[in-house]
Parts: sequence; structure tokens; C-alpha cells
Amino acid sequence: MRRVSLTGLALVAPALAVVAALFLYPLSYSLVAAFTRDGAFSLAHFDKAFELYSTDIAFTLMIVLVSTAVIAALSTAIAGTLTLSETPWLIAALKALYRWPLFIPFIVAAQCMRTFLAKNGLMNNTFVSLGLIEPLQATSFLDWRGIVVTFAWKQTPFVALLLAGAMASLDRATIEAARNLGAGRLRILIEIVLPQVGRTLMVALVLSFVTMLSVLSVPMMVAGSQPTMVTVDMAFRINAYGDYATANALGVISYAMTAIAAWIYLRHNLEEKRG
Amino acid sequence: MAASGAAIGVENLDVAYGRTKVLHDVSLTIPAGRFVALIGSSGCGKTTLLRAISGFVTPQRGRILVDERDVTAEPPERRGMAMVFQSYALWPHMSAAQNVGYGLKLRGMGRAERARKVDEILELLRLQGFGERKVTDLSGGQRQRVALGRALAIDPPILLLDEPLSNLDAKIRLAMRHELKSLHRRLGLTAVHVTHDQEEAMVMADEIVVLDQGRIVQQGAPEDVYRRPNSSFVASFLGADNIIEGEVRRDSDGAKLTLADGGALDLPTAPEGHGRHVIQFRSDAVRLDDDAAGPALRLDGRIAQASYPGGRWRYEIDTPAGRFLVDDSRRASAGDAVRLAIPAEELHIFPR
Repeated sequence: MRRVSLTGLALVAPALAVVAALFLYPLSYSLVAAFTRDGAFSLAHFDKAFELYSTDIAFTLMIVLVSTAVIAALSTAIAGTLTLSETPWLIAALKALYRWPLFIPFIVAAQCMRTFLAKNGLMNNTFVSLGLIEPLQATSFLDWRGIVVTFAWKQTPFVALLLAGAMASLDRATIEAARNLGAGRLRILIEIVLPQVGRTLMVALVLSFVTMLSVLSVPMMVAGSQPTMVTVDMAFRINAYGDYATANALGVISYAMTAIAAWIYLRHNLEEKRG
Repeated sequence: MAASGAAIGVENLDVAYGRTKVLHDVSLTIPAGRFVALIGSSGCGKTTLLRAISGFVTPQRGRILVDERDVTAEPPERRGMAMVFQSYALWPHMSAAQNVGYGLKLRGMGRAERARKVDEILELLRLQGFGERKVTDLSGGQRQRVALGRALAIDPPILLLDEPLSNLDAKIRLAMRHELKSLHRRLGLTAVHVTHDQEEAMVMADEIVVLDQGRIVQQGAPEDVYRRPNSSFVASFLGADNIIEGEVRRDSDGAKLTLADGGALDLPTAPEGHGRHVIQFRSDAVRLDDDAAGPALRLDGRIAQASYPGGRWRYEIDTPAGRFLVDDSRRASAGDAVRLAIPAEELHIFPR
């Protein structure tokens, strides 16, 4: 028995070493750095972080929450259409198209959105040429709205992919039973299908939430001006001032936001298990 | 419970999945209030016919009528039929009462009235006290009753049953047969029941429809179909598994059946055609060592194997005409010589 467990340990050791060296060590280092000043415990870096960046912290949370809500709505619509639609060409087209953004990096997506959402970008030009708006009415969307659009565009396919998979594995008869009793498609999506895949949606949204919190390129490229997201502030503290301490404090605040998402997820999971 | 049945008409129905044609020109009339069983081996199209009636499958050709109204183009949610699924298809995120009441909620029934109706249904199905349970905590038989309750709650004129008993234990299945049948009698709705179980169909239905390869091959009261199958397929499907080949000759007195090994019998009623025929009979139609009068096909044989499945003995008997299965209450052992007598009226004879 002992031999077997030693072999097992040897097998996981490289993976454990990588996690420890590349994740646990830097994480604890930055935690320690965030909470110490001149070798003693201190909350001074957090004071500074909140003093300078409290607007950005709120802004970050707002953007990520709004994006998560938009992603939830869009991915439910896509996965719901794939599961419940009876129009074969619509399903085929949607299936072929919706996954593309998954393969495009955030930085490329951000660059595309810059040219698409700018004041004289593709979107406004199209609206003007269609006669929907006057050239003078054209406004730039390169602010918080641009970030939300980019996040939604990039993350919706991921959530929709997981959600459509979960919906496809449902017992088809549970959907047919509802139709048979007289429920329309939208009602089935909301009352029959979504409650059965709620856990998958929750997991996918939490993962998306965490990913969006950590993206630097999108807020930097899409919305250069103030207010901006915490990731940009961290990069700025380090690049402009070499101020790792405040950057670390901002990092801990990001962790806290992630932790809230994780807590909501775990609590939800626990409730479901209790029944 | 003021439900009363609606008549169903199926006219010249063709259904295909892709390029595979599943139903060929199927026509069927089911009068209001009738309990009809669709039977056949797997892949014969019985479930497809049920799904076409319910609207989950779109036919290539033909019409489906409910009380003379053409519903062929209507989606399942507007046909007013309630279906019970083989997998029960209960919604795991709802309690038993919520499952039963969902159809009523869809119809905009108020909360209080809904609760009253759900209680009534739960009582009807002997599920009092189970309303607040999660359906995942119920046993198979209870789940089946919740599924039935969900369908009955909306007072449907037509109840569609897609092999609803096939996932249950043998004992509960037998009890549910009678429960379903008495419910049907009490509520007066029209029921269409798909099953591959011949006995289940016989016990429950007023009328049996036998399908083979996408076509209706026989339709009638259970006893008629059982006693007078119109084809070799129907006879086999309803248990006449012993098969002999023989020759039918007609003369001025009637018809005479001759077996390849020399056995012969004057038939009291002449079968269709003449020349080579297949003769089929059930294992329980055979009498062993019976000297009773009356026309019968008599064969000498030897018992090859004996087993006791309960009630009667089951013998495999070798005869010059082939090996047959015979059920008999008398005890005999392997190796015994016996004389088989199959009464003429128990022989099902079809042209080859």
C-alpha cells in the first residue's frame, strides 16, 4: 500500500511543484506584500488604493456585473434557440457562427471593437448610411459600454457552449411533456429548461466573471480614459511608479470580488444539495 | 371530472425520418371514449404513429382529425391531448403537486382552485400526502402515477400513453394495468396506448391495432384478433409460435390439410387459397394424449425437454413435423413418447 501511495505522490509531484512555484508562491508573496509596510502588518496600502481608486473599483464591479447579466441573457437565448427551435436553417447557422469569438484573443477582440465602436467607426458609419442616425448624432461607444460589448461578445460563446451542452443532455421528453400540456417555447425555456440547467449556467457565469475581472487589454484599449478597470490601475502603479505594494492591494481587492462570486456559487450549490 | 372523449381520425398518413419511411398510408378511426392499443414489434412504427397524433412528428402526407377538426398543421401545445411518456418525463425541479398542477397553471387557473384540483387528482391516484415531495424522492410506481396525474389534471379529451408501464416492476405493472383501465372507464376519455406487450394490450384495450413495418395489419376487439389473426405475422405476434408447413387441397366436400410427413386433417372451415400453407398454433392449444372426439391434427412425438415455469408444465416435443412448445398440466419427463392433438379450430392457416 505504502509503495502505491509513494508512486502516486511521485506522479502528482511535478504538477504540485508547478502550482506551488507559479501560483501559490506569487500569491502568498503578493498577499504578504499587500498587508505589510517596513516589515510590519499595515493596511496603509489599502488606504492608498481606496483613496486613489475607489471609483475604479466600483466601476470594475459594475462593468463585470452588467457584462455577466448581458452574457447570461444572450447565452440563454442562443442555447435556448439551439435546443427548442424547430427551424433547421436557423439552428445550423447559429451552431456554425456562435463559437467563433472563442478562438479570438481578448486583445484582438479589443482592437476590432476599437474600429467598430469608434465615433467614425464601422457601426456608426453603417447606421448613417442606412439613414438610422444623422452623422452629427454619431457618438463614440469607446467607454464602459465598449468594454461591456467586448466582454459580452467574447464570453457569451463560452457560456452558451456549456449551457447548450447541458440543455442537449436533458431528457427531451421533459420538454415535450410541457409542450404537450400547452406551454409555448419561451415559457418552456424559462420554467422547464433553465431550472434544470441552472447549476451549469451558474458555474459558467462565475468562470466568466473571474476571467473578465482579470482582463487588462480590453479596458486599456477600448476605454483609455478615466474611470477605468482595476487591472489598468495595477499595471499603471507598477509601470509608472514601480509601486508593487499598492498594485498588490488592488490585486487583493480583485481576489475579494472573485471570492464573493465563488461564495454565491458555493452557497447555491449547497442549497441545491440540501434540496 | 367532466372529461369526455374526442374521436380521432387518421387519414392516409405517411411519415418518414429523413429518407427512411416509417409509416405507409396509415388510416385509423378511433371513436370517442374508446381505449385503443397500438401493438407491434420494435421499429414497427407504433410510437411514431402516436407521436404523429400528438404533433411531435410532422407527417409527409395525410391528415389527423380530432372530432372532425383537422389538426395536422397544429403544434402539439394546441391539440388538447395529454401524453404519458415512457420515461415519465417529470420535471425534477418541481414537487409532485407542482408537476400535476403545471397544465392548470398554463391554463390560467387561480392558485386556490388549482390546489383543490391537484388534491383531487392526487386522491384519485392514491397519492395523498405525496404532493409536497420532490419527484426524485418517489418510487417508480409513484412517479408513474404523478405523470398520469399531470396528464389527467387538464381534463384532456384524449390521453396518449407511450409504453407507460414498461419501466415498472412486474407486480406494480399488473396493478397499474387495472388502475389505468378503471380510470379510463370512469373518466370516459379516449385513450391510445402504445405497447410491445401483447398481454398488456389485451387486458387493457377495447380494441387492438397491430402494426408491422409501418402498416396496420389487423384491427379489432382483443378476442377477435387473438382468435382469428389474419396473417402469419399477427398469429406469431400473438403467441402462435409453433409453425408447420403443409398443403391445402380443396375438393367437393371441403378442404383437406396434408403435412409433409403424412399427417392429414379434414378442415371444417376452408382457409384462403390452396397449395402450400403455413399452419400456426399456440403452445396452450395442444392437448397431450387426448382421445377427445372432434377434428384435430394428431402428431406423435417424444418429449425433448421439460420445465416448470409455474401453473403448467412446458414441454419441448420433437415430432416428424418439427419441434414444438407445448403447455400442459400433466406431468411427464424427457424421453416420454406422447401424442399431440391440436383441435382444428386452434389452427391458424395462411397461404405461403
